[in-house]
Amino acid sequence: MNAPAGLDFAGIPERIQSEVQRAIQRSIKGVEYFSTSGPTLGSTPKDVLHSRGTMSLYHYRPMSDEIYRVPVLVVMATTNRGYILDLVPGQSFIEFLLKRGYDVYMLDWSAPRPEEKSLRMEDYVLDFIPDCVRRVQADSGEQDVSVIGYCFGGVLSLLYGAIHTDGPMKNLICFTTPIDFREMKLFANFSDRRYFDVDRLVDSVGNVPPEMILSSFEMLRPASRAASQIQLWDNIWNDEFVKSYRMFDRWATDTLPLAGEYFRAITKDLMWDNKLFNDTMSVGGRAAKLENIKVPLLHAVAEHDHIVPYDAARHLIAKVGSDDKEEVMLKGGHVSLVAGANAVKRLWPKLDSWLGKRST
Amino acid sequence: MTDKTHDPVAMWQKMVGEMEKGFNSFANQAMASPEFSQVVNRAGGVAAGAQKQLGELMEKYLVTMNLPSREQVTGLAERLQAMEGQIGEIKSMLSQMAASSGVSQGADAASRPPRTKRPPSVGGEQA
Repeated sequence: MNAPAGLDFAGIPERIQSEVQRAIQRSIKGVEYFSTSGPTLGSTPKDVLHSRGTMSLYHYRPMSDEIYRVPVLVVMATTNRGYILDLVPGQSFIEFLLKRGYDVYMLDWSAPRPEEKSLRMEDYVLDFIPDCVRRVQADSGEQDVSVIGYCFGGVLSLLYGAIHTDGPMKNLICFTTPIDFREMKLFANFSDRRYFDVDRLVDSVGNVPPEMILSSFEMLRPASRAASQIQLWDNIWNDEFVKSYRMFDRWATDTLPLAGEYFRAITKDLMWDNKLFNDTMSVGGRAAKLENIKVPLLHAVAEHDHIVPYDAARHLIAKVGSDDKEEVMLKGGHVSLVAGANAVKRLWPKLDSWLGKRST
Repeated sequence: MTDKTHDPVAMWQKMVGEMEKGFNSFANQAMASPEFSQVVNRAGGVAAGAQKQLGELMEKYLVTMNLPSREQVTGLAERLQAMEGQIGEIKSMLSQMAASSGVSQGADAASRPPRTKRPPSVGGEQA
């Protein structure tokens, strides 16, 4: 019998030796994996400027001798923890901003307590964000504030900006922010108003449990968790791979519950009635049309985003009233756009070059 | 080096990747149907209803055992939260008063860098 074309018999012993070594390493590292806790995340030095229930406002300690005049407030998505933007030194978006001379604050969320089930969209848009902006102004001594919103943090920032049209937001940056909720097709189907009784759910459970949020994310790619565990085993000899896997896996499974009334509003106003896209959104009786936003705006979207597909995000630039606006599409997915090796070389430098000249 | 197209390990990794993509794609098609939504939400509704009934039963049990009810614990938590909020407000007021009277607020406030940075292209410097 002839050997298949391209098969290198001379290389086989070397390959077998390499695989045996990796198998031994897997056994050793596999034990290590279960006996250690993984890298410490979110360790960039910071002070808690304010904390109230589910909301925390951090101020990161500057890492530059000279900083831009305009401080930056990062608004995290309410479903997840903010440390995705502050993983480990060298892979921390926050650290990157600090080293590039920005004065950085973050509005982060913790799990809403049972008594916070009554928090509404109004509490987030008309209370939490304005409260944090005021505190950033007081702490920094500056009137202007740039806002960066990630995923649903971007939606909240847009709603805030569309209502507070006379400032003090100076620039707005949105990462992977959905506008047209019909285009989040699987989420739209999961929450089909004919079958999904959101009132019954919220009235029964209060805050929507994190397991439900996590399941809905994982259902978008149901085979990926099993496949990633196979990949982990294949690569468990590789310390860098394991470190990265642990960081992202820990963050992805560290999902937050959502306040019941807030979830009810998201389902009815955004998922069912698509009010943000249809220009009929209001919060606390105040109209929140995207055309009201006039500040410079950058929208970064990911080419392979399975959570917020491009069709759900692409209308933002057309809908805002800003003259100075830009959309940038970068390679990566919903998370790798903002964190990890992909973000270090793509999004972060782009954001720095855009924001730096608008921060003086 | 062995040719990747005939490397069993590379073939295995490729196969896992392809299977993942194929299964995700197939499942996404199935999950896009109204029937899927109906079945999942019916099951979810039953679970939520059962959770509510169990919660009510537990409340009755706690009353019988002379233990604090959920409402009472929640009431305590709310009072604690209000106190936390008030402490935060007092702290903030003290900081503002200290700032306005020129009293140093510690190393953090004193060591803040000047807000004079210019972007590299404007001043011709490197960040």
